[in-house]
Amino acid sequence: MDRVELKTGAKDAVPVVLGYLPLGFAFGVLATQAGMTVIQATVMSILCFTGAGQYIALGVIQAQGAVITAVIANLLVNVRYFLFTTSMVPFLKNHVNPTIASILSYGVTDETYAVAMNRYQSNPPTASYMAGLNLTAHLGWISSTLLGAVLGSMVTNTDRFGLAFALPAMYICLLVLLINRKSDVLIALISAILCLIIGYAWPWSMSNMFNMVIATIAAATIGVMIREF
Amino acid sequence: MLPRILPVALFSGLEFPEILIKWLSYVAPAVLGALTAVSILAPEGQLYVSVNNMFIWAFIPTMLIAVKTRSLFWTLSVGIVVMAILYNLTV
Repeated sequence: MDRVELKTGAKDAVPVVLGYLPLGFAFGVLATQAGMTVIQATVMSILCFTGAGQYIALGVIQAQGAVITAVIANLLVNVRYFLFTTSMVPFLKNHVNPTIASILSYGVTDETYAVAMNRYQSNPPTASYMAGLNLTAHLGWISSTLLGAVLGSMVTNTDRFGLAFALPAMYICLLVLLINRKSDVLIALISAILCLIIGYAWPWSMSNMFNMVIATIAAATIGVMIREF
Repeated sequence: MLPRILPVALFSGLEFPEILIKWLSYVAPAVLGALTAVSILAPEGQLYVSVNNMFIWAFIPTMLIAVKTRSLFWTLSVGIVVMAILYNLTV
């Protein structure tokens, strides 16, 4: 256990945790309003650790949909994590023991992925860093959910506080942080446009994020076909 | 949980060809591009491109701050505050 790496990971997780405060808090509030108990909402954040996935599951619960719908939607939403962790493998090879790396990868989320990839551009990955980053972020997520669930009864309209923009704002920031080359801008744009077109043509793909998976695969493929400019 | 753990467990022993590494390097911008677009232009699940969509308006200052500060905390703070202002002004 490398103390310095662990602390750096935890430190790098601070902005992520700050970002999770409104997100997890809002989730805790919405979860209790949808009928979940404080314990249930908190346990969900402990086990799942997915912002989008948990919100989607909540939507299904509120619409009184079948559990299977939530499960399938979650699987599709989380497919992007498959792409994320696979893209991390070239960086992790030879630096982190595969077994340890795979266990610590449970904590890969949009945000920790962005932070980690940013770090690995110029620093070799270590298990301690991964642990510091992912565990701190996870703790932050659990805490904010708990807080939101407990205070849920006191907050009636989260829209008034602009919390609805918490998730989009986070995505905007991550997008900026993850763009390193001019081609990244083009690929991001292509992916965005494709995603919207597919979601518009096939609305079911919008709600379970399948349009995003297809758009990502297509855009990344275009990326390897063009030359850097 | 599995989509995160399996790839690292399965693929760590392999040597990735150059083109695959390049392909994977585009995954991040592609995913975030798509997620950002959907969260702004289809916030409730359906495409909503209109001057009435507050998310589109909030996007502008938020994107500027993101580029300038490259900070999650500041981007989020500005985004949430702008959204709160827009919401309370128009509703």
